[in-house]
Amino acid sequence: MSDKARRSIALRESSDAGAESEPLVLLELIQRLKVRDVMTRKLATVPRSATLRQAQMLMRERKISGVPVEENGRFFGLVSVDDIIRALVAGTIDDPCHKHMTTKLVVLEDDMPVAFALRYFDRYHYGRFPVLNRDQRLVGIVCQRDINRALLVELTHELSRLENVMIQTSDADDAYHVYVLREFPVVKYDFENAGKAANQIKKVLQEKRFSPKDIRRIAVAAFELEMNLCVHSDGGVLSWLLANGRAEIIARDGGPGIEDVAWACRDGTSTANEWIRSMGFGAGMGLANVKRVADEFEIASKKGSGTTVKAVIRISAPDALQGASQQPG
Amino acid sequence: MTVLDLAEWLKAEVLVVGEGSHRAIRRVVASDLMSDVLLVDDEDMLLLTSLASDQVLRTAQIVGAVGVIVVNGKALPSSMVAVANDLRLTLATCSLPKYEACVAVARALSAL
Repeated sequence: MSDKARRSIALRESSDAGAESEPLVLLELIQRLKVRDVMTRKLATVPRSATLRQAQMLMRERKISGVPVEENGRFFGLVSVDDIIRALVAGTIDDPCHKHMTTKLVVLEDDMPVAFALRYFDRYHYGRFPVLNRDQRLVGIVCQRDINRALLVELTHELSRLENVMIQTSDADDAYHVYVLREFPVVKYDFENAGKAANQIKKVLQEKRFSPKDIRRIAVAAFELEMNLCVHSDGGVLSWLLANGRAEIIARDGGPGIEDVAWACRDGTSTANEWIRSMGFGAGMGLANVKRVADEFEIASKKGSGTTVKAVIRISAPDALQGASQQPG
Repeated sequence: MTVLDLAEWLKAEVLVVGEGSHRAIRRVVASDLMSDVLLVDDEDMLLLTSLASDQVLRTAQIVGAVGVIVVNGKALPSSMVAVANDLRLTLATCSLPKYEACVAVARALSAL
């Protein structure tokens, strides 16, 4: 690899200088992923009338340490290894499950962030949690191994994406010697901090002396997407990648999703409430404005799930590389 | 005419002198709707607004405004001065209502 290419694979920068050692990708993942994304959906369950011996056989057969007691989606309790041991000691192993199952349970909801589930594992020291949906139906079960597996898969995807960027950068003749990746968590309705990420992005671009026109387009796209995350989503992450003469801005959130994407991208369409409008936002021009300033625009959304918006802006070489002395705007 | 010249004309109180204070104003935008401000493509714009919030300054920085003048004599939250300093953006406040401020600005610019 040439020195030039090596320089171009510069560094991964975090959202503020003091937090460079924090695993931001991981923090973002545990906020973005929901319990339903990591839970086991194929459940081995028993009805209330099943005996504890039947539950024990099922646990041995499936190599699991707990069986939910459920009928037609309605969750009644859980038979654990402890319940089985107690039944063996007391001679009640042939009693129906509903007599001895554990009913005082801590459960998770399927739309909770994984970060919330991790806090539950830390607080309660249980091996698993049943997962209910909004209708209080049993839809899954989650243990820490499920979470680890899902995080590993997501981290592998992220690493693969970074490797692709690095390969592209090292192959480029004039990669602008720039490779920046930053990620900024955005919290719902956090107007105190909303906009800070875009402001920081603009400052970095000015320091690197890109043209005022390019800086403005990137900054506007980043700001609009950041405000969208704050105003319309349950919270998410704004990622910004600068490499190979391209600025890529990605806004990812975990919900609630957009029902009609084409409608949302039109000028003047908005679901913002009066409170948001009183702060000068929510006029329904955000996504349309991102499309206006971007060279490439993609949006993927599903109602009840999340939204990902990607804007790509092609940029010319910075003034410094062109030997110009124009001041950034 | 710079934002500091205009502030003097409007008898506005300048709270922060930012980087763009020496640049000539090329366009004036009067709006409380930041979504509209983000659609303006001109550099060296002055923003007149009756909205007193940090987001006004963040929006102004994004579009490369030379400064912000908050009209209607609005009491500014203390955070605005800190944000203006951080973003190196000129911030002033004037007691005129927005429409009258616009008229005064138009007169000032046409007097040049």
